[in-house]
Amino acid sequence: MADEELELLGEESELSLLETLDHVLNRGLVIAGEITIAVADIDLIFIGLNVLVSSVETAHEVLRERGEPVASEE
Amino acid sequence: MNLYAYCLSDDVAAGAVEDVAGVAGASPRLVERAGISAVVSECGDEKIAVTRENVMAHERVVRRVLAGTTPLPFRFGTIVTEARLASYLDSRQGTLKAQLERVRGAIEMSVKVIWKPVERGGGEDETAGEVAGGSGTKFLLKKRRELLGESARRERAEEVGGWLARAVEGFVRESRVELQPSENLILAASHLVERARLADYRAALGRAKMERPELQFLTSGAWPPYSFTSVGP
Repeated sequence: MADEELELLGEESELSLLETLDHVLNRGLVIAGEITIAVADIDLIFIGLNVLVSSVETAHEVLRERGEPVASEE
Repeated sequence: MNLYAYCLSDDVAAGAVEDVAGVAGASPRLVERAGISAVVSECGDEKIAVTRENVMAHERVVRRVLAGTTPLPFRFGTIVTEARLASYLDSRQGTLKAQLERVRGAIEMSVKVIWKPVERGGGEDETAGEVAGGSGTKFLLKKRRELLGESARRERAEEVGGWLARAVEGFVRESRVELQPSENLILAASHLVERARLADYRAALGRAKMERPELQFLTSGAWPPYSFTSVGP
């Protein structure tokens, strides 16, 4: 397996985590006033999502140019 | 005693979650009230840190329930007393049961559409059309270019949103779409899909992607219906 593919798999794994964060932190049932989390990391997480989307996009373009299949999260 | 709340269900089997490691390693259990079971585990007074371990523990417990039925997941970090939880279930019994019915037999699928780099700039070249003038004039011209770029991006997002809605029409029970939720995204869509129609939905989405090679997609799922938990005020 080429190095680029290994890197992409790593990013996909991080992407899976960030997609999970997007769901569990942004959505879901809320009982008014009862969310109790340490919020210091949240901004970093969403900055991370933006950066990661960019890097995955770049990786996908590289694979596409090489005629290789582009992985999806499904 | 405080409880960490994972999800609600009116169809979860007793003992379905007891062998799963919950947040902070606690064992989940069911609290039944008003015909609804809350999946909870005991926790202390401290805040729950947003760590990979804790987030995955939350998701692991909710997914265990999702394997058997479709729950209403709580947002990460929901901590309540048993009395507060009982009060919540009593006061919202009707709307919660209606919402459970709304998601029954379905799962959530996520589609994010990504801007291409050339479009992300949002307008004309900053150096193009430079004219003589003071800093105030240059500032106003720059703002005008930004506004025009933003308008075009908005129109593009609306067009893509309409196209995606038509592409999956008939394959989704409900949709939630957010246009331009972040700098890099054209839109983020959540689709509530019946489990029995998941293959049809995926095929429809696959065909749609082929129609628009100029767009880039990030698709994920199946998720618990995090985006379809609204029970009103």
